[in-house]
Amino acid sequence: MAGLLAVTAPDRAPAQAKKIVYWTHWEQNPEFNKWYETKGKEFAKKSGYEVEVVTIPYQGYEAKYLAALVGKSGAPDFFNGIVHQWCGQYDFCDKMPADLEKTWSENLPKYMLPVGQFKGATYGIPIEHGNFQQMYIDVELFKKAGLNPDKPPKTLDEWLAAMKKLSVYDAKGEPTQVGFALRHKGHPVGITDKFLPFAHAFGARMLSPGLDRATGFANGPEMVAALHFYGDLVTKDKVASLAFGNPEETFGQKRAGVIFRESWYFGWLKKNAPDVAFKVYALPCAKACPGAGNLFPWSNLVYKNSPHKQVVWDFLRFISNAKDDLEQHQLQGILPVWTVNLETPYVKGRPDYASTREMLAQPVPPNYYHPKSNELATAFGEAVVGVLYGKGQPKPSLDEAAARMDRILKD
Amino acid sequence: MDRQRRAGFLFVLPAVAYFACVYFIPLVESLIGSFYRTLPGGASRFMGFGLYERVFTDPVFWNSVKTTIKLLALSVPSTVVLALAVALGLDRLTLRWRSLWAAMYFVPFAVSLVAAALIWQWLYEPVYGVLNHALALVGLPPQKWLQSLNQVLPSLAAVNVWVRLGFDTMIFLAALQAIPGEYYEAAAMDGASARQQLWHVTLPLLNPQVVMVCILELIFNFKIFDQVYATTQGGPAGASQTIIPLLYDTAFKYFRLGEASVMAVFVFGVLLVVTLLQWRIFRRPVDY
Repeated sequence: MAGLLAVTAPDRAPAQAKKIVYWTHWEQNPEFNKWYETKGKEFAKKSGYEVEVVTIPYQGYEAKYLAALVGKSGAPDFFNGIVHQWCGQYDFCDKMPADLEKTWSENLPKYMLPVGQFKGATYGIPIEHGNFQQMYIDVELFKKAGLNPDKPPKTLDEWLAAMKKLSVYDAKGEPTQVGFALRHKGHPVGITDKFLPFAHAFGARMLSPGLDRATGFANGPEMVAALHFYGDLVTKDKVASLAFGNPEETFGQKRAGVIFRESWYFGWLKKNAPDVAFKVYALPCAKACPGAGNLFPWSNLVYKNSPHKQVVWDFLRFISNAKDDLEQHQLQGILPVWTVNLETPYVKGRPDYASTREMLAQPVPPNYYHPKSNELATAFGEAVVGVLYGKGQPKPSLDEAAARMDRILKD
Repeated sequence: MDRQRRAGFLFVLPAVAYFACVYFIPLVESLIGSFYRTLPGGASRFMGFGLYERVFTDPVFWNSVKTTIKLLALSVPSTVVLALAVALGLDRLTLRWRSLWAAMYFVPFAVSLVAAALIWQWLYEPVYGVLNHALALVGLPPQKWLQSLNQVLPSLAAVNVWVRLGFDTMIFLAALQAIPGEYYEAAAMDGASARQQLWHVTLPLLNPQVVMVCILELIFNFKIFDQVYATTQGGPAGASQTIIPLLYDTAFKYFRLGEASVMAVFVFGVLLVVTLLQWRIFRRPVDY
């Protein structure tokens, strides 16, 4: 029997690969996420560790992250998150080793450096370049409206005039097609994020430069003017509608001529609305240009209590090169992160190549990388959405929001 | 302790252990947590009643309580009355038809709340939704449903009724079938009309079930979360921000576990008081 077993058994059973676990909530980017598993197999050949990717649904991901990271058991070894929240408000992150920090600081566009940092310490590897909004226009709808898709509006006044031409109304005066696909649903944090480019174009900022005060900024005269303009898009100008669903889908369904979105939207459109002919331009300017800013930037973060954190850093070191950066982002249609990749044929061939360069050439707008950014953006977003729905006027709504934000900041 | 008592304890032990782990310990933890502010890194600072003061002076919190009560007022009476009506109708059917219809009413209860919410989100969709399509067929203008400040709560209440109707109907139906037929025969012989039989025989005998269903519906609606979070996330403009989604955001979006614990204690306290009051006021002993 022993002899028979010896003959039939394989020479040597393959060793069970060990795993490091990665959590991501980017459910809209499956190819991007899957890539870590592919590279993990390659990494396993030298380290013995593969990568397991767990996609957590975006809605409510914070609760799952928090429960796991507080509880330690079942926590990921590394995860996609926001530095100022997970490393700032909570102390869940391992600091980046010096050699890796050097690699990344030398290869990231300068405006992206704060994305991975909190109070001067570097924790995260930014994973999304072009995470600022740009203007996507529907070429067909532009032509139908008598607009030239090769000459996009450069100022907010020109933009508003174009939005009016793009809007189509029914007999009762309700829009059946709108100029602008405006975000009005969902969590107020998202509402804030989509409104900020308008605020920045008006020269407003949500918080003081030290991020310690809202009054005088969130309710300053520039912000009030910006919110007037934004609210009027729905209530007075009727170039945006609350009766439409998600703005991404509205644009994908050719029911809106323009949307402001990040670089990933290029990949999303190619996949979900391939018959939409679109072009991408820099956002229109008013007093200022909105520039390359964002409210919630994403990074890869290493869990400081992970028993495998050194392996994870090794893995991140393993993929920290221009080739992998390009490969991973190209798979999903996202702009790569490394500066050197921004001049590759892939990026040059993208419809947002020129606009990205133009946006990056503008001054970097204010960032709000505060540990309580979600709560602050909620208070602010409630004022914005309240105005859109006619619940309040810009000035008193913003006064109320600013007072709440100051209370949050003092807490 | 005699053998019989020991056996009794052993039988209740699993349920007590489950209750302790799943309800009692978290409740005590919430109560303790409501006095502490959790600091970065997991450290905590004792706040006394400071967090209670913060929550109870926050207009956003009271708005969410008001919205919860509004939704509750729309959902609970409709569900109970409709369930009673459906149960009375089903009770008159033959066994075969009764089973078929009862199963149909019960199916929504078996659907996950998030799935139910997402289904209704599509039905309510202002442009492509079936409901507006149906309105158009009869010449009525489209409605904004979940995207309207005024219609969002009734729209969510309709989802609640759809989800809960089957469960309540089953309870009423079981209770109706347990009422001895002799009571109706006696009432009929005394000349009681159908309406009088319903009012003087059926409803008093259903009182325990009505009280129980009212309490369950109240608890269900007060704790409403999935439907709101999956469909409106409290919107539009905060018009459907009920208390549990606010609690969830406070805990997991803003990482204010202490304040969220205060809200949890508030919900527990309110439900306890209301349930006890409801039980005391509405529960009347019925003698056969």
